[in-house]
Amino acid sequence: MAATGPVTSMTALARAALRAPFTRRARDELLFCLAGVLVGLAVLGVVVALLVPGTARSVVRAVAIVAVLLPLALATGMGRRLGAAHRRLAERLLGERVPPPALPRQGALGRLGAGLRDGPSWRALAYTLLKAPIAVAEGYAVFLWAAGLANLTYPFWWGLFRNHPPGVRLSPVLAGTPFPGRVLHISTYPGTFLAFAAGVVMVLAAPWVTRAVVAADRRLLRGLLGPGRLAERVRDLEQTRALAVDDSATLLRQVERDLHDGAQIRLATLAMHLGMAKEKLGDDGDPLDVAGARELVDAAHQNAKDALAELRDLARGIHPPVLDNGLADALATLAAGSAIPVELATDIPVRPTPAIETIAYFCAAELLANAAKHSSASRIGLRATGRGDLLLLSVTDDGGGGADPGGSGLSGLAQRVSTVDGRLEVASPPGGPTRVVVELPLRA
Amino acid sequence: MRVVIAEDAALMRAGLIRLLEDRGHQVPAAVADGDALLAAVAEHRPDVAVVDIRMPPTHTDEGLRAALELRRRHPGTGVLVFSQYIETRYTARLLEGGAAGVGYLLKDRVADVAEFADALARVAAGGTALDPEVVGQLLGAGRHARGLAGLTPREREVLALMAEGRSNAGIAAALVISGGAVEKHVASIFGKLGLPPSEGDNRRVLAVLRYLAS
Repeated sequence: MAATGPVTSMTALARAALRAPFTRRARDELLFCLAGVLVGLAVLGVVVALLVPGTARSVVRAVAIVAVLLPLALATGMGRRLGAAHRRLAERLLGERVPPPALPRQGALGRLGAGLRDGPSWRALAYTLLKAPIAVAEGYAVFLWAAGLANLTYPFWWGLFRNHPPGVRLSPVLAGTPFPGRVLHISTYPGTFLAFAAGVVMVLAAPWVTRAVVAADRRLLRGLLGPGRLAERVRDLEQTRALAVDDSATLLRQVERDLHDGAQIRLATLAMHLGMAKEKLGDDGDPLDVAGARELVDAAHQNAKDALAELRDLARGIHPPVLDNGLADALATLAAGSAIPVELATDIPVRPTPAIETIAYFCAAELLANAAKHSSASRIGLRATGRGDLLLLSVTDDGGGGADPGGSGLSGLAQRVSTVDGRLEVASPPGGPTRVVVELPLRA
Repeated sequence: MRVVIAEDAALMRAGLIRLLEDRGHQVPAAVADGDALLAAVAEHRPDVAVVDIRMPPTHTDEGLRAALELRRRHPGTGVLVFSQYIETRYTARLLEGGAAGVGYLLKDRVADVAEFADALARVAAGGTALDPEVVGQLLGAGRHARGLAGLTPREREVLALMAEGRSNAGIAAALVISGGAVEKHVASIFGKLGLPPSEGDNRRVLAVLRYLAS
């Protein structure tokens, strides 16, 4: 079997090569090349009409025309319409679906200003102009097809038109070769087989040449008529910005909830207990109910202590003060407070920006809490390393695994990390171990 | 006085029960959400209900909705809405059906036990108890700046206390002036604002609130 492998693949290749000229794809790509040639000719025609004859006056005139026409074309959205037409053609003939660029923004200078600053319009015009040189290559592909097919017919009609008596010398018939400058001079019947052979080579090569030319055109299409890399980055940033805004709104809501349900209630109750104690003591003179007052003051005292503890926790939850000393210290504090023993290793030569340190700290805190809650691990490894422009934070545990990256906790962390272009990876096979790696840029 | 309490914070709930029982009132039920409140009021028929606005399940305004429902089902039962914030919109909704037997107080007011108990008693008796914050927002809305500008500072104080739902005696005690002086101020305020003279604390509050909210 192993020996026949290359042989079968060779036959398959040969079969594919023989079949290529007859496929639907070859036909569609040929049609696309034909259309490309027509577009290229039209573009060339316009350019030539504007610039030739090249006297000084006509050049001035042409430049003037371009200076008027170009802004007009851009302002009326012609660039975008051209781009749309190119995209439609590519979709219809090649099935190449290029997403349209984002809609233009209305500029302060109105339509003209917006049109002139509209990147997609300029890119569509550039593509249209580039169509002229591409059309040369596409024309060559069309030529291969046409001349190759023509060559194949030579042996069949030779007898019909060249049945002259022997001795009569006629001028040779020309036949194409794959090299456009070169022609074959056919003057005998056997010679037609040379043309035929050239035709076979050309027709077999044509689909591949076509494909290569079209592939190059496709790249240009995607690059110049799509949304563009910058626009994609903008879309990305818009998404992460939305996440960041949501994230901070959620945090603020949480802080409000914690205050409302915690410290505020305790302080209100404290005030109530003191108010009641005051009544027990009476306005002046001897206290009315000393025991009751003492009990209420005790309760108020407890309320005050609880409120203090809650406010301290809340403040630390908003920004742990130890983080001001650097991430390593903060992580050490965090590790020391963990219910499961933590092996901590930090190596952060370049200090990240405060925002990154905060995100890293809260990721570590959440991941440690997760491990303590769900993994039933006996050891946790916490590592923070600076490498190049990145801060790598990893939390590993020897617990039961099965952490769900789509769960609210981990996906929330991933969201927060993505707001600064970071990444979070979770590996937690059933049975463990679990390893979560957070990758953050050093500066945000 | 029989009082039903709806408050989801256990600490505050226990404190309120103690405060009320200390003063000789009965608390037949203390619950933690709106549905339980409606059930408890239907069962115990209290004189007044103290209702926290933010309660489970959504922690937004279920207490307010339960309070409005309570007023619809049991018009005779006073409702004292009790919250950590004063929201103008909530005030408007609460006063839509009139100011009789309605209160809206900040939770902080429990610190002054006697005043809180007094406000609760007023609501239970069909009167009104609006937090100074509520009245402040109504006065500060600016719609009646011109009318109010004609009042003396003392008259403005009296107007605010009237809007809170206090009686002449209550106003006199709060401002440490005589009952007669209060009466004079009230008559002057009604004259300057062009309000028809109203007999009884309740109708007077309504007249003032209607003026401020119109």
